[in-house]
Amino acid sequence: MKQYRRSILSALLCFFVVIALNFLLPRLLPGDPVAYLTGFAEEDMSPEKYESYRSALHLDESQGKQFLYYLRSLADGTLGYSYKKEAVVSALIGEKLGYTLQITLPAVLLATVLGLFWGLDCAYKRGSVGDKLSSALNIVGNAVPTFVLALAFIVVFCFKKRLFPYTGLNSDGVTPGTAAYVLDRLKHLFLPVTTLVAATLPSRFLLMRNTAAGILDEKYVLYARERGLSKRKIKRAYVLPNIAQPFITMVGMSVSTCVGGSLVIENIFSIPGMGRLLTDAIYSLDYPLMQGILFVTTAMMVLAIILSDTVCILVDPKRRAGGRA
Amino acid sequence: MKKKPYFALVLGLALLLLFTLMSAAPGLFTDYGLKDMFPQWLRPSAEHPLGTNAMGYDVATELFYAARETLYVGLCSSVLCLALGTLIGVLSVRTGVVGAFFNALINIFVLLPRLICLIVLSGFLGASRQNLIALISLFNWVGIARNVRAKVLHIHEQPFMEALRIQGFSRLHIALCHVLPNLSDVLLSRFLLGVNSCIMLESTLSFLGFGDLYHPSWGTMINFAYKRGAFLRQAYAYLLSPGLCIVLLSLSFYFVSLWFEDRQNSIEE
Repeated sequence: MKQYRRSILSALLCFFVVIALNFLLPRLLPGDPVAYLTGFAEEDMSPEKYESYRSALHLDESQGKQFLYYLRSLADGTLGYSYKKEAVVSALIGEKLGYTLQITLPAVLLATVLGLFWGLDCAYKRGSVGDKLSSALNIVGNAVPTFVLALAFIVVFCFKKRLFPYTGLNSDGVTPGTAAYVLDRLKHLFLPVTTLVAATLPSRFLLMRNTAAGILDEKYVLYARERGLSKRKIKRAYVLPNIAQPFITMVGMSVSTCVGGSLVIENIFSIPGMGRLLTDAIYSLDYPLMQGILFVTTAMMVLAIILSDTVCILVDPKRRAGGRA
Repeated sequence: MKKKPYFALVLGLALLLLFTLMSAAPGLFTDYGLKDMFPQWLRPSAEHPLGTNAMGYDVATELFYAARETLYVGLCSSVLCLALGTLIGVLSVRTGVVGAFFNALINIFVLLPRLICLIVLSGFLGASRQNLIALISLFNWVGIARNVRAKVLHIHEQPFMEALRIQGFSRLHIALCHVLPNLSDVLLSRFLLGVNSCIMLESTLSFLGFGDLYHPSWGTMINFAYKRGAFLRQAYAYLLSPGLCIVLLSLSFYFVSLWFEDRQNSIEE
């Protein structure tokens, strides 16, 4: 109980660190904060323009006041204003977030569930040929950077075999709302999601395999085997409940790795999600937008961790009892 | 007693030796200079094993010269990571405010979305080799710190620590002369794995365009290849060979680290 509360606490702390970082970065780095917060070079601005930005950004007030203004912009959900794109940051992110989630959520689910069952299976058959092969495959897979994997997939599946489209989320000329549109979208999503799953699966697999292997060494598993219980029964009734917590924690942590991975992948597959937005922001030096994206991704991660820890407490009878006592 | 992975060690060392040689003397591997011009987009052939690129440079030559940059950034940042991780790991075990602070620091950095922070920070700071090294080491020490913390907590339970405390040795003396030597195996294997993750982060950032353009690494090469239309020219060798090198390099560190490690479950995020 205590352990979970502490990790929720550190997730929240982490959130505040990112907020503080967002606030301090443009103000502490060498250079004019006005330039950082608008994204324009200060030489290009007329004095009047400069003054109007300064007062619009509240830079002429005390640091404490500025921080309050910043917190207010987070609280009312605008997250600041992008002068480059002339739009509110949250609106910009809002319209792209959906695309990123379409890649991230299936990838998180697939990678963790595949990792769980594959890892469990290999742990059960430890030392067999299948286990050795899968482990070796995953160790090699763990050494492949996500973007290399994405490029290799594109070369093989899009250029050599021409099986899948390699860019965008939909082909031209397909009307939204029809069954063909959904199919087309799925076809476009297949490769990005597969890449992300293949990139994040190895570490999940190895973690699950080693956790499960540790539990299979326990005496009660030996006893269950001696009683002649079936393999399925042992896995379901003895091993799964015991690796449930590390598994759920892992799902929570996966969200942030998958969002990170999807930022890279979106660039390669030309998907108009947050990753594209972030690269755009960086190339056009749109600092408020960058900060907004960092804030939103951190918020997602913190949410995932709090959620997974709550589930951990809920599924564990020992912790529930301990909490009441 | 488990069999020691001789094969992995030999393979890892051989690969490492190859890459070290490549970065020490890239001239040995190729007849061309880095800026020798040829016709653009040549197909792979006997003269140009990987073809030529958009500028007409020999890709294989570029590949050999980039080994140095990749290794340099990877090694520098992982040495910094090691120092930072050990320091914070040891400090976090102390009782009181100091220990609590560093422990909280570890817990926070475990959770930070590393890649996104790195991308945004490099956006703010601009692309250069020094920035890359500093940022990578700033965000990558936490794995080492956690392992060090666990090991130090384990060492603190040992009887010889009690004996040392009873004999009245100072805390600094105990930390430097008795705890640190006992950490060496953890540090070595974590260091080797740390090089891995540093190289991964470096190549991802370089691929996204935060690499030092004056010192192109393998990630930067892939970035160039991708940006300048290697797909449409079907120059797949140009596009994929640096990636293969990254994989081989990080595998070689992993193989060597297996030797220094009795557990196999050392791969983490």
